[in-house]
Amino acid sequence: MSVTEQGLLEREKDTMTLNMGPQHPSTHGVFRVILEMDGEVVKTAEPEIGYLHTGIEKTSENKRYVHVIPMTDRLDYLNPPGNNLAFCLATEKLLGVEIPERAQSLRVIMCELARIASHLVWLGTHALDIGAMTVFLYCWREREMILDLNEEISGVRMMTSYIRIGGVAKDATRPWLDGIRDFIDYFPAKVDEYELLLTRNPIWMDRTQGIGVLSREEAIDWSLSGPALRASGVNWDIRKSQPYSGYENYNFDVPTLKGGDIYDRYRVRVEEMRQSREIIRQAMEKLPMGEYKTPDNKVSLPPRETLHTSMEALIHHFKLVSEGISVPKGETYVPIEGPRGEVGFYIVSDGTNVPSRVKLRAPSFMAIPGMCQMMTGCYIADVVGIIGSIDIVMGEVDR
Amino acid sequence: MTGEEIVEKVKAGLPDALLDTALPQGDAVIFVAPDCLQKVATFLKDDPSLKFDYLSDVCGVDYLLEEREPRFEAVYLLYSIDHRHSVRIRVGIEEENPSVPTVSEIWKGALYPEQELFDMFGINVEGHPKMERLIMPKEWVGHPLRKDYPLTTETVAFSHNRDFKSELVKSKPPTR
Repeated sequence: MSVTEQGLLEREKDTMTLNMGPQHPSTHGVFRVILEMDGEVVKTAEPEIGYLHTGIEKTSENKRYVHVIPMTDRLDYLNPPGNNLAFCLATEKLLGVEIPERAQSLRVIMCELARIASHLVWLGTHALDIGAMTVFLYCWREREMILDLNEEISGVRMMTSYIRIGGVAKDATRPWLDGIRDFIDYFPAKVDEYELLLTRNPIWMDRTQGIGVLSREEAIDWSLSGPALRASGVNWDIRKSQPYSGYENYNFDVPTLKGGDIYDRYRVRVEEMRQSREIIRQAMEKLPMGEYKTPDNKVSLPPRETLHTSMEALIHHFKLVSEGISVPKGETYVPIEGPRGEVGFYIVSDGTNVPSRVKLRAPSFMAIPGMCQMMTGCYIADVVGIIGSIDIVMGEVDR
Repeated sequence: MTGEEIVEKVKAGLPDALLDTALPQGDAVIFVAPDCLQKVATFLKDDPSLKFDYLSDVCGVDYLLEEREPRFEAVYLLYSIDHRHSVRIRVGIEEENPSVPTVSEIWKGALYPEQELFDMFGINVEGHPKMERLIMPKEWVGHPLRKDYPLTTETVAFSHNRDFKSELVKSKPPTR
């Protein structure tokens, strides 16, 4: 055996450790992964999280229920209404309040708009990571319309805090309703446009098909949720399995594919955008008149004009503002279907106006081990695509 | 299956492993001691009519302020994808040497939340392949989500109150 051959043999066992992140642009935040490389092939992928830890769960234990809502916006910052809704539903379950139908419809519209906006961010950045620049610009154009609608109804473009305990912050306005009608007429053609750019694009297909595959059993075992689970052939959607906010009254499909690769996750999400638009259309069609928050004055503030004439209203107003809502003792968990999967709040109340424990079930956090499982054995160039296809948001991973 | 049916089924299948059951707001909740956890978890996953094959999350809770025994609790949220029902397992954990067996061999998804359980509450998960900090830095002291861990220990550069800082560190759980 010659010296060079011996050298080659030794090098075969040799692996290189490569650090990716936390400042890598394709990690969508501050995710770090330590890759053990054998040439171009990933041997093991070791995730490292915690760079964005802000202690939101600890802070929540020291704030009143109402004050927790703006913090939930910052968890998954692409889906603020969904986080608000999960927290409010959990609190309302402990309180046992009924939500008026108009408020429920407004909640559904806001959540589905957020789902579309979140999927647009995902599609734009995911395509940009893989090298398709144009899609990014188109996606941002449509997302801007949704952010304008958010501003119209809540005054804020992203961190809306629109969904409150007992209903929503304020009633829908005429320009908002008109804007949504325009949007649902305008949007379907745009989804077709994105698909025209990507779905049959040979470069896109080469980069995504058969990569990052997770089988049905593995996906369930690794607790993946949302589009990543559905792309692996599991028909599981919280909106269907445990309906909340009246989702049982809407007629929509849950797109499910069998491939479990990046391409199928892409197709599931694109189809979800169409379904979300369909849900919004149905919600707008039968948007009921009535209250936009519960008339129970122990939970929501009485109408401002009644304060001058009603002693009861004044007392309720004073107590709610100075003391907040007191939630009966107990513990509960309520999940909802967010854009990334199951978002849920586990809340423990000790009977006071401050929650004793607030735990977020974050879909991105639970997906990270499964994602690293997908990376083992793939090429380094595909790592970026795999991270993008899971659509992690570090705000909810580190909390 | 409804919550009541699940509770009845588990009671019939494992009469001596359960401590208690409850149905708050219609959700099935079962109380289990740490040493029976793996047995109960295996039963819940393997029984064909229950088939809880999906672990949604593991939540830690510290009940220090309520002054009850045991102090800690780990809550396992489970689903069955096929039967579309759910159950919560609540496991009480003692304050002295808190530990709980791992369920990561039954559901791989438990690896991360169990590591977080150790990081945030200092609950030792026996049999977990990687029992180290997850979110906090490796050299961090203390477990932040415990109730006796103060909300802030920021260094105060100038203070006329000499004991201010030390009081803060030793501070009682936050008062309301």
